[in-house]
Amino acid sequence: MSTNKKLWLLAGTVLLALAVTPFLGIVAIDPLAVLQQNPGSFIFWQLRLPRALLGFAAGGILALSGLVCQNLFKNNLATPDLLGISSGAAAGAVVALQFKVGLTFLGAGGMVLFSFLGALAAILAIFAIARMIRSSSLYTFLMSGIAINYFFSSVIVICQYVFDFADTFSLLRWLTGAIVVAGYREVFFLLALLAIFLVCVLLLRDEFLLVAAGDDFAMTRGLDVAAFRKYSFLGLAVFVGAVVSLCGPIGFVALVVPHVSRSWGASRYRETVIITVLLGGGLLVLADFLARSLLPPVEVPVGIVTSLLGAPFFLALLLAQLKRSA
Amino acid sequence: MIEARGLSYAVNQRSILRDLDFTVERNDFVLVFGRNGAGKSTLLRVLAGMLREAKGEVRLAGRSLASYARKDLAMRLSYLPQADEFALPMLVRDVLLAGRYPYRSIFQKLTRRDMEAFAAGVAQFGLEGLLTRNMQTLSGGERKKVLLAGAFIQDVPLILLDEPLSFLDPASALHLVRLLEALHREGRTIVVVSHEIERFFPLATKMLALQSGALRYFGDRMFSTQLFQDIYGVSFQRITAAGREIIFVNE
Repeated sequence: MSTNKKLWLLAGTVLLALAVTPFLGIVAIDPLAVLQQNPGSFIFWQLRLPRALLGFAAGGILALSGLVCQNLFKNNLATPDLLGISSGAAAGAVVALQFKVGLTFLGAGGMVLFSFLGALAAILAIFAIARMIRSSSLYTFLMSGIAINYFFSSVIVICQYVFDFADTFSLLRWLTGAIVVAGYREVFFLLALLAIFLVCVLLLRDEFLLVAAGDDFAMTRGLDVAAFRKYSFLGLAVFVGAVVSLCGPIGFVALVVPHVSRSWGASRYRETVIITVLLGGGLLVLADFLARSLLPPVEVPVGIVTSLLGAPFFLALLLAQLKRSA
Repeated sequence: MIEARGLSYAVNQRSILRDLDFTVERNDFVLVFGRNGAGKSTLLRVLAGMLREAKGEVRLAGRSLASYARKDLAMRLSYLPQADEFALPMLVRDVLLAGRYPYRSIFQKLTRRDMEAFAAGVAQFGLEGLLTRNMQTLSGGERKKVLLAGAFIQDVPLILLDEPLSFLDPASALHLVRLLEALHREGRTIVVVSHEIERFFPLATKMLALQSGALRYFGDRMFSTQLFQDIYGVSFQRITAAGREIIFVNE
């Protein structure tokens, strides 16, 4: 199948998922009733549709951030989770919750702001360590990222420990990934961020291809690799921070999706990027649908669904790749 | 073209290049040789503007190398490292078109001039069949050829190569040498770091010998048993056979 055909097929499937999943769930909704005033139409328009859209935006951003990370590190295991960006953002949000930070900035609430600051702190710490030991090797970046990941994870645990019981429960709920939304404010915010992120990544095609090829190659073709890497990481902090603040640190999407999109996109940049967004968004919509309908009336946190399904899927993918290359 | 004045480079107080002075003229073909660890690759990286903490001065086209922005530098020289990376898949076409990166700004599409340079590179290096291949699946010889074609498409007057023949079979090596020869004939300046003295000796117009980071010889191509023996610690012989100069180690 040609890459273009795959792309359209994928886009159609994602649209279908977005259109169909809001009708399904613990309460099935009659498609004919959603245009009238009734409880079903309220659930559809105010709860499930915004939730599906938010899931799409979050999944798209996470998957794209994974692809960007992998390009920047020239390593297809690098993700914002591994580098501590996600846990930095989560720690920021937890602190905001703990101290009930009420401040807002440009319409963004305390949790969004603190998530962004946490992600930023993680990234600045990585750069500070690299500067301290005067090494700009990617290996140093990766290792300090992993250390910072552990640091922020323990900050989160400490916060859980000192929280009172009721808060801890809601915190735990959020930390395992939860797409909970009522209304459209957050939905539009995240969809707009996804659009900006996508446009940036598409416009910076040459730059991302160059850094992925190798530092020497990129530099001798005229790219200031160190500066590009720095600004890209700052951008990642914004996008990942926003998703984490709204949906919690949802794992595996950033790792798994780029693997699939790279092979479906046949190394073509634009196609790979678009497939990444569609696939990441679509998968999270489906995972969230499963999360809220697998064990009624309990909702399983979506982060658990993505990890539960993602882990074996990822292994199967690796095995298939190994088989093909053997 | 490019000159070094009092060029030194050290890492953690360990001196790698010591006080080098030389001038590479336009359309020179310089063969840089010396033992492993003599500082050849470091010298090449300094000349390519990859290591900017070097002491002393390097001037390119009369201007200090440090004063060039990356993109300006990329319009004047191209550097082919000893080992390329390509840890992620990348199409050969994209590798080649990256050569036009210095000439473009972010919103600019490829111009006709870009496409002409690209087409000329593809034709001259015979890459028509490889364009949609993934760089990672190419053989060593094909990869080297693609990278050299990229430097050609980059359209720079100065090309710096670090061990371009490593891991190549004799036929691929010969092919690459021919391509380099053609680039030199077209008027480009070439600096090659290589242990394959016998291969590059006939092409070289100048030779640069490094020993423990210091300049042992810089000047016109010459065959000196004494120089080679001093540098490598083994003696060399030259014979002429089938109309060619052949240099080999005397055992």
